[in-house]
Amino acid sequence: MPSAIPLLVLVLAAAKAPLPTPADAAAVHAEIGRPGASAVLVNIWATWCAPCREEFPDLLHVARELKGKGLRTVLVSADFQGEEAGARDFLSEQGVDFGTFIRTGKDEDFVNGMHGEWSGALPATFVYDGSGRLVRFWEGKASYPVLKKRVQEAIARKETP
Amino acid sequence: MIRKSLFVLPLVLAAATAAHAAGPLALGSAIPSADVKMKNVDGKDLSIAEVKGAQGTLVVFTCNHCPFAKMWETRIVELGNQYQGKGIGVIAVNANDPKVAPDDGYEPMQARAKERGFAFPYVVDATSDVARAFGAARTPEVFLFDKEGKLVYHGAVDDNGQDAAKVDKAYLKDALDAVAGGKAVPVAETKSIGCSIKFRS
Repeated sequence: MPSAIPLLVLVLAAAKAPLPTPADAAAVHAEIGRPGASAVLVNIWATWCAPCREEFPDLLHVARELKGKGLRTVLVSADFQGEEAGARDFLSEQGVDFGTFIRTGKDEDFVNGMHGEWSGALPATFVYDGSGRLVRFWEGKASYPVLKKRVQEAIARKETP
Repeated sequence: MIRKSLFVLPLVLAAATAAHAAGPLALGSAIPSADVKMKNVDGKDLSIAEVKGAQGTLVVFTCNHCPFAKMWETRIVELGNQYQGKGIGVIAVNANDPKVAPDDGYEPMQARAKERGFAFPYVVDATSDVARAFGAARTPEVFLFDKEGKLVYHGAVDDNGQDAAKVDKAYLKDALDAVAGGKAVPVAETKSIGCSIKFRS
């Protein structure tokens, strides 16, 4: 099968992440509140943000590992509108195969609309339980064990309301 | 009801403390860590108290490496240089750990201040404790104190980091004009997207 390898390369190259959908804070909250998840992990990142890029593999590790437990992962790029393609390139490199968002509108509206305690610093991560209540929120990158533990705690809260 | 509130409180606190060690400095607060000496790019040690202006004091947490700090840098330098001549003391503070962000080391800071024409000090918060005392979380993030030394403006430079020509609200400039003229600041607290401060542990 001499043609198998070029074909594989072609398939991999074509496996692009979906282009992030423009969303304001209300649209992101609608996705968080959509029923059916045991917990929701929200990460706000940007292509220009080094710690965001560094934590991405860990974030996706947790996202994939706990998807079967009902975790919904909502990725929101804070890149500027018009930079969707750059954001998609990074998402593709990371192997993201699900829909994500890119924020729209003024910083201030988006930051306050997401959460009053958020300063606007990236990365920002929010963990909600299955009923849409915020369980954890932090700024700056987190490691795989920390991310996993915080998400597991949110999933566990569903069973002990 | 009381029992219920007490039960909920730890959760609220857990969420709040996750954001900042102590939350951002409240409006009306005095300048924290005002006497802490920090090394300026000219090699001298300097405290915020030493740069205080007759009309007010502007403290800018910024850095070299952050793309958002760079986007606003021209505006920060223009405002800093301009208002320093209007009785406002101006100081830029870099609290980032150069181990995490090598561009934020002392020598790159010296080069940057020279290159971009900072007419005001650009100092190293060598423990990141000054940033912690302010409750600063990102770069750039500005704190403006009036002539009594009370915080009257905290937040973003303006509402458009990407494009200076498309700024609708020049928050910091408006606040500086108010403070320099002894008037009330029109908008006291704003936010923007920015880089998290790389605190030293």
